[in-house]
Amino acid sequence: MQVDKRFVPEDLRYDRNDYWVKATAGEAVIGLTAYGQDVTGDILYLELPPAGSSFRRGEDSGSIESGKWVGRLLPPVTGMVLERNSALETDPSGVNQDPYGAGWLLRVRLADPSELDGLLNPAAYREWIAGQIRREREEEAAL
Amino acid sequence: MDFYDLAGIDWWSTQCFYHALAYLGREGLIICYPTGPYVCLGLHDDLDQEIDRAYCEAHGLPLLRRETGGGVVYLDRNQIFFQLVLRRDNPALPLRRQRLYERFLQPAIRACRFYGLPAELRAPADITVGGCKCSGNAAGDIGECVAYVGNILLDFDFDLMCRLLRVPGPDFRACLRAAMRRYLTTLADWLSVPPSHLQLSTALAAGFAEEFGPLNRRRPDEELEAEAERLRGRLTGRSWLSLPGHRRRERRIKIAEGVYLVEQGGARGENGALLLEEGGVADRADCPDLLADEELPPSYNAGDRRPDALPVEA
Repeated sequence: MQVDKRFVPEDLRYDRNDYWVKATAGEAVIGLTAYGQDVTGDILYLELPPAGSSFRRGEDSGSIESGKWVGRLLPPVTGMVLERNSALETDPSGVNQDPYGAGWLLRVRLADPSELDGLLNPAAYREWIAGQIRREREEEAAL
Repeated sequence: MDFYDLAGIDWWSTQCFYHALAYLGREGLIICYPTGPYVCLGLHDDLDQEIDRAYCEAHGLPLLRRETGGGVVYLDRNQIFFQLVLRRDNPALPLRRQRLYERFLQPAIRACRFYGLPAELRAPADITVGGCKCSGNAAGDIGECVAYVGNILLDFDFDLMCRLLRVPGPDFRACLRAAMRRYLTTLADWLSVPPSHLQLSTALAAGFAEEFGPLNRRRPDEELEAEAERLRGRLTGRSWLSLPGHRRRERRIKIAEGVYLVEQGGARGENGALLLEEGGVADRADCPDLLADEELPPSYNAGDRRPDALPVEA
């Protein structure tokens, strides 16, 4: 299933590392955006932090391997892992196929809910990815 | 860009110096080769699934887990490594990191062509000669940098590579060796006298200078040496080597880009079906067919130029 890389749901917050956050009552679910999974490519393996572990916003907390590339998992908020999406351990393609649904990565307890104010709203994230897509076209043209 | 022309160095140094550059946030190019053999796991390889540890221990093959992707590789002095470390904010780094392979691999392609080999890029990250892979490549974010690492096979011990991997049984191992011989090639297959490390290093450096700008030749300083030594402990440590990795229900070994040998359905001591998957299409691996031509590169079998008829540079 091809996911529209420009799809940006209205009920989420975003960061410039292409993660989304859905926050409710001190908890949040985190995932990779449609654009993020498109840039990453077909995901072969995910190393997610275990339940109970704490992490800080933007700090290396795991890894994502796609064809010929290992990238870092950089959480968009600070918190503690309540649950990781165990279905992705055996089949990480869920992130590519359904990034806002079955491909969620972590459910976390927020350490500092005010961090959510620093995230991008959908309009701002759309603008961000439009800029990224322009840059990609320039890079392609330069090849 | 800083250029470390390290020639032959300890096996662990061939991995730890580029990790050290990356963790120190320093850009640079390293060209080197290991003076001794070792086995290198990808970041997400599962040690016990992939490697026959007893065999490695008995034969004095040390293990190291790198922080870039890809699978298990056997590395020795019959290869030459080129390793490029760039800061993540380097404007030369494309948004889609895989796209840099095209530039990163050009120096190796040019070096092979200089010696008369019909080398080509097979996207995203293989170099092929006569349709066979002759270079292994990987990349990943490390610290505040990204590292692209690759090698050229001057020669390769196919028997040893097949022996050190954990496989379901002798049939799988025989097919693995035959498939590797069919889909991989080395400079020794094509040239009666392969170039020396020094010749290759010189050709690679010229290519990198052309692609990425002038190279500033230097030796590892104390900071880099100390960081590499620190990383040696980590990358070869028992806990790091034993990190849980990608476990699969089936035994599946990548041979080249888009080519896998797979055993499906083996359970309770029974052998499963051996499949050779190429370009997403799986066929039953026919070992007799694979074995029939295993000693010759495909271009030779196909009646192309004889390997020893290619020009040889002094």
